[in-house]
Amino acid sequence: MKSYLLSPDKLLTFVKELSRDWSLFFPTFEEGKTHLVRFDENSPFQPGFDRIRTAENIKQFFFPVRGTVAKFPKDEAIPVEKRYLLGVKNCDLKGIDIYDRVFMGWDPVDPLYKARRDKTIIISADCPEPEDSCFCNLLGLNPYGDAVSDLNFTKVGSGLLFEAFTKRGEAIINAYKSLFVEAKEEDEKDRKAAREKAVKKLSSINSKPFKKDLPDRVAAADRERIRDARDECVECHACLHSCPTCYCFLLGDYKRGKDIERVRLWDACYYAAYARVGGGANPRSRIDERFWNRFQCKFDFFSKYEKVYACSGCGRCLLGCSSKIDIREILWNV
Amino acid sequence: MERMNPYYPIPVKIKKITPETSNITTFVLEGKPIEFEAGQFAELTIPGVGEAPFTPSSSPYDKDLEFTIMKVGRVTDGLFKLKEGDLVGVRGPFGKPYPLEHFKGKEVFIVGGGVGFAPLRSLFLALLHDLKSYKKIYIRYGARTPQDIVYKHLIPEWQKIDRVDLLLTVDVGDGSWRGRVGVVTVILDKIPVDVKTSPTIVCGPPLMMKFSTQKLIEAGFRHENIYLSMEKNMSCGLGKCNHCRVGKFYVCKDGPVLTWQDVKDIEEPFL
Repeated sequence: MKSYLLSPDKLLTFVKELSRDWSLFFPTFEEGKTHLVRFDENSPFQPGFDRIRTAENIKQFFFPVRGTVAKFPKDEAIPVEKRYLLGVKNCDLKGIDIYDRVFMGWDPVDPLYKARRDKTIIISADCPEPEDSCFCNLLGLNPYGDAVSDLNFTKVGSGLLFEAFTKRGEAIINAYKSLFVEAKEEDEKDRKAAREKAVKKLSSINSKPFKKDLPDRVAAADRERIRDARDECVECHACLHSCPTCYCFLLGDYKRGKDIERVRLWDACYYAAYARVGGGANPRSRIDERFWNRFQCKFDFFSKYEKVYACSGCGRCLLGCSSKIDIREILWNV
Repeated sequence: MERMNPYYPIPVKIKKITPETSNITTFVLEGKPIEFEAGQFAELTIPGVGEAPFTPSSSPYDKDLEFTIMKVGRVTDGLFKLKEGDLVGVRGPFGKPYPLEHFKGKEVFIVGGGVGFAPLRSLFLALLHDLKSYKKIYIRYGARTPQDIVYKHLIPEWQKIDRVDLLLTVDVGDGSWRGRVGVVTVILDKIPVDVKTSPTIVCGPPLMMKFSTQKLIEAGFRHENIYLSMEKNMSCGLGKCNHCRVGKFYVCKDGPVLTWQDVKDIEEPFL
């Protein structure tokens, strides 16, 4: 499909049109961080598309921190909101890609996850200014959207340049065609230049690649070599809970009068009881075992199982870490 | 394959509760909420308490579903407070069954420890259902004391069956015990089967699994013929929550029974 240009003065109209039937979330820059907020016609619309991904990770929209998955003894359908997510960056799209594999690719399909995916239209945005914490390039990713989203846009000189990746994306362009104009060659050149600039910046931030046999190195790692990093870990779990690709969860049951509500809670493999069984045996009772399990899961297990790393290089883990452990340093040295 | 809500447990009443030992009880559920094959497991919901994985102890061909369960933690504490007629929930079946087709025409050597005999009973009953297809069934079962032996009333009946060879041992005897004394590995010193072709199936507590497996390897069983029940923390049973992952396996999906060939490179696979 061709690319289409939306001039800056038409953005608000476009967003208002979209939000007529569905909720819409857009990124806004506040107090030094970008956050995804709900669009409300009566509140100011100050989108922040130029910065890196939002502080919070996108998985909460498909996989809430604490979400009902069943009721007992009588099950009830769980309502799912229809919504647009605007301005999502590629590192979060890759997180969604990992989730899609686990919850829709692997049998059985998780019906609630699928319903949330089906009822969410993602309009991603290029990431023009990667920051020091970004390292998607080390994982073979680019700082601009791709097929995981329905539509993607790039900020160019004359506006926002959109391209559709799915039929739903094409349908949006077609439905609001009066707001768009067909892109000119100059717009596409602008896009190419903006992307090259971002890629170049990423290369200067992370000039040293990971070794090609990273999965095998992680599998066979001498744990003594990671001791410094492991010893600094205070088990705050920020790295895991902020990670857009971590998908561990725990089911919990809560009494609601005579009925039971079954909820799915985010879990994290650094918790000491994570793998402990009822009888008390625990395959990862020590923190060094749990610390390295995270690396094995993301870079050995997942890459061999699915041929992709369960890491998108978003950098939230190193910014969130209480001890400022930089995952890149560990992976460079493994 | 897309199916109904995989997190929803089917409600079912407890039909009968039979204590086996001071801390092990058999719970018979009314009707059969799920069909399963020997080796597969289910998640049992105790309303308001939570859910835990158990392998049925009944035959897949029985009209009821039975679980023999040891009281060890929060969920089982909740279960042991329930009475006949109370409601529980069942999800499943999960995991892969024992490959009974591969066992046919062979001697089947079963090794159990403690409450680990529960899932093995389901396998044993499935084998009995089609006994003529197997050369002979050997069971070696160890419990801590004579009081800790499960299925006490059934064992003498099983021992009478032609082509079934069942030996018992206890770690510590008492005044009334006339049988063997010693951990289960003492009855693995003599293995009367063709180790080159026979499958052996092991289920029990971690240390028993470790030492029994060692003995079976030393005896010459082929690594791919040593079937081990892997007890892991499992929340979803669907291969998604990640709790039970061991190396490249999701025990809930690829197991719960894996072979020694599968797990031998994993550090401490029985923990």
